[in-house]
Amino acid sequence: MEKRSSAELLNIEQNNSKNASSDSLNSDSKSSSLNSKMGQESESWDKASHSKSFSSSSTSTDNNIVSALEARKDNQVKVCSVNVTVLSSQNLSVGETGPPLLNGERVQGIAHEVTYVCPYSGPVRGILSITNYKLHFRSVDRETPYVVEVPLGVVSRIEKVGGASSKGENSYGIEVFCKDMRNLRFAHKQENHSRRDVFEKLQQYSFPLSHKLPLFAFEYSETFAENGWNVYEPIAELKRMGVNNDMWKISKINDTYSICDSYPAVWAVPAAATDEDLQASAAFRSRGRLPVLSWIHPESQATITRCAQPLVGVGGKRSREDERYVQLIMDANAQSHKLFIMDARPMPNAVANKAKGGGYESEDAYQNAELVFLDIHNIHVMRESLRKLKVTFSNLLELCFPTIDEARWLSGIESTVWLKHIKYVLAGALRIVDKVENHKTSVLVHCSDGWDRTAQLTALAMLMLDPYYRTIKGFEVLIEKEWLSFGHKFQQRIGHGDEHHSDADRSPVFLQFMDCVWQISRQFPNAFEFNEHFLITILDHLYSCRFGTFLFSSERERVQEQVKHKTVSLWSYTNSQLSLYQNPLYWAAPNYQLVLMPIASMRYIKPWKSLYCRWNPSMRQQDPVYQRTRELLVLKEQLEKQLEEGRREQASRASRSMTSPAPPRLHSPVHS
Amino acid sequence: MPCPNKGWPDNERSTLHDAKSHISHQSAAIVQAFAMESKSCNNFISYVELEEHEMQNLEFGILYIFLSYVQVQDISVKFNDSSTNYVQPLGSSRRNSLSENNIKLLPGESFVTKAQNVLMFSPVSDLNQGTSGILSVTNFKLTFVTTDETNGDDVTRQQNHLYGYMDTCLTNIEDIYVTVGDKKRKLLPGNIVPSKVKGIFIICKMWILEFTNVVVLFQIFTHRRWEKSVASIVTLCFPQQARPVIWLRLSVSISDKEAYYSSLDKAVRLFRDISDWHNELERTIRNEKFRKCWRLSTVNVDFKLCRSLSRYIIIPASITDSQLIDAAKRFQGNRPPIWSWSNARGAALVKMPELSPLVTNRIQENIMFENVRKSHPQKMPPVVLELNKGISVKLIAIAFSKFASLCSPENIRQFWLQDNNFYSLVENTKWLKYVSYCLQKAVEACEHLHLGLSVILQGNDATINQSFVRRPSTNLVFLEGAGTDLCCIVSSLVQLLLDPYFRTINGFQSLLQKEWVASGHPFCDRLGHICKRTSEKSPLLLLYLDCVWQLSQQFPAEFEFTETYLTTLWDAAHVSIFDTFIFNCEKDRVAAATDPDRPLVLRSVWDWREQFNEQDILLFDNPLYNPHEADSKEKHVIKPLYNVANLELWSQCYFRWIPTLEIHNGGQNHIELYARLLRNDVNQLKMSINGNCGSPIDKSNSCSVQMNIDSFYPFSNRKSGNIVSTPIMNSSILATKSLLEAQSLITATD
Repeated sequence: MEKRSSAELLNIEQNNSKNASSDSLNSDSKSSSLNSKMGQESESWDKASHSKSFSSSSTSTDNNIVSALEARKDNQVKVCSVNVTVLSSQNLSVGETGPPLLNGERVQGIAHEVTYVCPYSGPVRGILSITNYKLHFRSVDRETPYVVEVPLGVVSRIEKVGGASSKGENSYGIEVFCKDMRNLRFAHKQENHSRRDVFEKLQQYSFPLSHKLPLFAFEYSETFAENGWNVYEPIAELKRMGVNNDMWKISKINDTYSICDSYPAVWAVPAAATDEDLQASAAFRSRGRLPVLSWIHPESQATITRCAQPLVGVGGKRSREDERYVQLIMDANAQSHKLFIMDARPMPNAVANKAKGGGYESEDAYQNAELVFLDIHNIHVMRESLRKLKVTFSNLLELCFPTIDEARWLSGIESTVWLKHIKYVLAGALRIVDKVENHKTSVLVHCSDGWDRTAQLTALAMLMLDPYYRTIKGFEVLIEKEWLSFGHKFQQRIGHGDEHHSDADRSPVFLQFMDCVWQISRQFPNAFEFNEHFLITILDHLYSCRFGTFLFSSERERVQEQVKHKTVSLWSYTNSQLSLYQNPLYWAAPNYQLVLMPIASMRYIKPWKSLYCRWNPSMRQQDPVYQRTRELLVLKEQLEKQLEEGRREQASRASRSMTSPAPPRLHSPVHS
Repeated sequence: MPCPNKGWPDNERSTLHDAKSHISHQSAAIVQAFAMESKSCNNFISYVELEEHEMQNLEFGILYIFLSYVQVQDISVKFNDSSTNYVQPLGSSRRNSLSENNIKLLPGESFVTKAQNVLMFSPVSDLNQGTSGILSVTNFKLTFVTTDETNGDDVTRQQNHLYGYMDTCLTNIEDIYVTVGDKKRKLLPGNIVPSKVKGIFIICKMWILEFTNVVVLFQIFTHRRWEKSVASIVTLCFPQQARPVIWLRLSVSISDKEAYYSSLDKAVRLFRDISDWHNELERTIRNEKFRKCWRLSTVNVDFKLCRSLSRYIIIPASITDSQLIDAAKRFQGNRPPIWSWSNARGAALVKMPELSPLVTNRIQENIMFENVRKSHPQKMPPVVLELNKGISVKLIAIAFSKFASLCSPENIRQFWLQDNNFYSLVENTKWLKYVSYCLQKAVEACEHLHLGLSVILQGNDATINQSFVRRPSTNLVFLEGAGTDLCCIVSSLVQLLLDPYFRTINGFQSLLQKEWVASGHPFCDRLGHICKRTSEKSPLLLLYLDCVWQLSQQFPAEFEFTETYLTTLWDAAHVSIFDTFIFNCEKDRVAAATDPDRPLVLRSVWDWREQFNEQDILLFDNPLYNPHEADSKEKHVIKPLYNVANLELWSQCYFRWIPTLEIHNGGQNHIELYARLLRNDVNQLKMSINGNCGSPIDKSNSCSVQMNIDSFYPFSNRKSGNIVSTPIMNSSILATKSLLEAQSLITATD
């Protein structure tokens, strides 16, 4: 029993590398098939290199067993398809021939004799199935089955390639563009409109909202050991930070979302502020998003508060009430007689916003406040940057073995400016941390509406300041609080179930935040309880629409749609298999790495290859540090048990003779 | 020698004049002495002429250089005595005053000059806050002692016994700039030091001052003696041919005064004795039949065959010594092809130089290919791998100098400017491209060897016998110029990838001895120990270490050593006390060691205890290392990814002197720290189980590990408040064997 548990532990990494997230995105078969191809050329040299990594060697044996089974199934499928020439969609969900299905998932369409044009290992023939949740392709002509699975929520757009008269092999078919950097191409036979049915089903179920269909999350049901909807309790979280206290109080003025419809029902404000103050301030802030508490320093009481831009306008309007309210925030911190207002935007953008009725606080009006611009660009710039990043990566990815472009890899990355944006976001968060931690000064953060860049900055600053948010559950709380409850517009930014792929409201703001988290975790490898697999899983389900967590744009909408009752939380899924997401290097010693101050220099900011390039087998790097550390942890655990047993044995003997003293332990850095 | 006792400040010109005339007077004798002495080393002969020529304008520096000879030669004791104000030889009274200044001198090391009231600026600073102190120059190092430094009790960084943190060996100085007014001017030997020098700016080869401190800027308060200091630094650092002599002398004098007891681990094989070669042949080729295809030749025992090869070489058994002598003449540097390594299937790795440019026909080359073929168990023809396309020693040097300037920004403004387009700046240096190139060639060679084909490494742009190149796969032969540069990198990388033994510390050191030191990589030229008109300087060794670092990042459990070890090794290549990296070849080393007058005592750099204490040496040990059983060798081949996209920048080595980049209480080295403590826990548990609970940790065997480290630990100078450290067991107690047992626990089937 014990042995098995340790073996499971060792297998975790294997699973990690296997699937980006174990159910939805099957990428492993790609690499294994590529490997097997290489293996033919140079078998044992290849094998030798694989035995290096625990994961890949054992994965391949897994695959062999699976492949034997699946190959048999495939034969049956073929027989079926010969006998039943026309399949009606109603019959499709029946039988073991289709893809593995989730509870609530149904097969909607199947196309045989489809060729998946793999950018790495060439064309593969197989069967393409569409369910109301995913696209599933399985090869029929390979020994090891080659499986591609994409949740339809990940699909950004679908295009037909070629026409009935197109010439050339694999020139007729469908191309699927994904939100996770993948482009998939399927080639169909050029007869009988063979792609039409699949194409229609793909359109319908990839963009259900555009076709008056429900999102899959509302059809999916599964019971997990944990209920993720209980992870975040606003009042409990405020209490954890010590609110209510002398200076801050919990306010429920927004419990019907009447003050601000994109804010949560519960928030904390300065204890001295009256409801009238809050209403007046809300009136002077864009979309009623008045300054409220994000985080409070447990010792100095310096705070991070967030809001939207003031409605200054061209005329330079002022609001005495808002000024007084900001003064109350400053006064709530006895340590400092100053307040920093961090405007995330570049200054020209802030000025330009005046024309639209917005603007920024003038230092004349807000006494003792100092305004700082953090030069972070808006959602449109970020979207463009990600697009370039995708082009850069796919230029590299589409080449089987990067050769020509490889020489320009570094400048290619630079030209996307993606990393530079990451740097500015990190640098902005660092300035907040510096003011709060080192100068004990409170900071008020806003951008234009206070739901994109502001969320990035406050959440990152909190992550750096408070070790709680670096635990798995703490990180879930952080996302629930700073992103979900404060109304980051996930629906518009991601475009769940919506076919308008070029919508101007889409932007990778949350992805950028996650990238920043990853950058910090590279600089502080022991500081996070979770590993990057956790981050990648969250990002996968940001798009997948399997869970309700990231659906809709505000707490009000989620309450209205009864998301908590009708869907499953992503955290139910993650918290039921925590060991998958645990970082073996996590070291929670008291006072160790309490506040993180990463270096926001391009010399350390790196492309997140294990996310963006994960589909490319030639880019895959093993991470044996984790594997090796895990082995040591397991070994230690086993030895401890062995020692314990030995001692018990000794103790029973010692009832007759004298006991020897227990061996001293000098230091135990490791949580066991 | 009548020299006024008052010395420089009051009577500069006359003293100088006297000294000069004295020298010219004596120079003939000295020159003669030198010519005799350096008969064995051609390098040193030409120096004399240069020196005479330079003497005209390089007043003080020359003076010093001569003095150091003079001192060594004991020719002018009188002169030394009479000019104590200028040059202070090691005397008892002086020594006391020096120790007041906290300057530690090695036996045999002596003072040259010093400047008071110097301000030192940390690298990448804005020159508004400096540390004041005394800048001194000895015949070994440049040293800076500050007066306002608090006591170094809480020193956490690596501490070298030979020189301090603020010191740099003179052999390590790359460039010196002086600022005159607002301008920065490079000082070269022969230049006259301008009179109104505001500051000097020193770039070091090893990153210590180069990328770093280097960028140590000294600014003076008072002018007295300043010029003199600068001048002597310049000359000391750029001896034209002369410095090796100085430091050789230094080594001699050290050995005169203090016997050297080597604590070098016997497991490090230096490949100076025939037994090392013999054992290597037996170790790699277990099959006796295969082994008979190669033979150990003593034809070069007197360096008659080739001056750059070691005394013992391994060659195809089918070549007789006389054939070899005949063949060697046709190749560059008179170097015949030599064996490096063989795998279990008998495929060999052979290094082979290009044919010498004067030889027009390729007959000898083909004969050698044929001999390599005959040495293959199945008589398969070898594969020839050319190491010359788009890479050369010169190109590597250029790439490095660009890369170095990227890693040593002058000030914080430049730092952030570089940061804006750092990725393309890195790409433009091409440094990573060359790292990638070397790894790629190594992987290619491994693939051929794996198929059972020998590989010949060869590199130069001369034409190669096409028929051999085209035929796929066989014995591997490297081709390249004289076969002493890229061949060394690629052949050692191949062996690291294929042979786990070389991934241990002792194995790695033996590999460097075998493939670099013994096979004649011209360290003296490549590391620039001597200032020559035609620079052959190029950091091939660093390129190799960078490749090794990349491997250790991709396979962190495969190497017994850490990146700290690799960085320290690069640093150590510039410490002139050790003989390992200062000679061009074994012949020069032998000549120095057998000098009839003052034989050089050889100190190997692998004797780490000469430089560091146990605690620092502990940091060389990779806690993630997972040694494999020796018998299942074939399994433990590693195959790195070599695309630039999969390479990283070695931040510990290259960024450690940029304070802005130090991650407080963070960085990748925390992984190592964590694993070290974890391993310690495991080891202690094991000892408890084995019943060793009586003596938990012997004090002599315990080391302490520092817990709150910054990212450049142990190289940074940052004072991070309270030091928290924890004692851990010295890992040497637990031999590899017990770790293997531990391994079997994990892999146990039930």
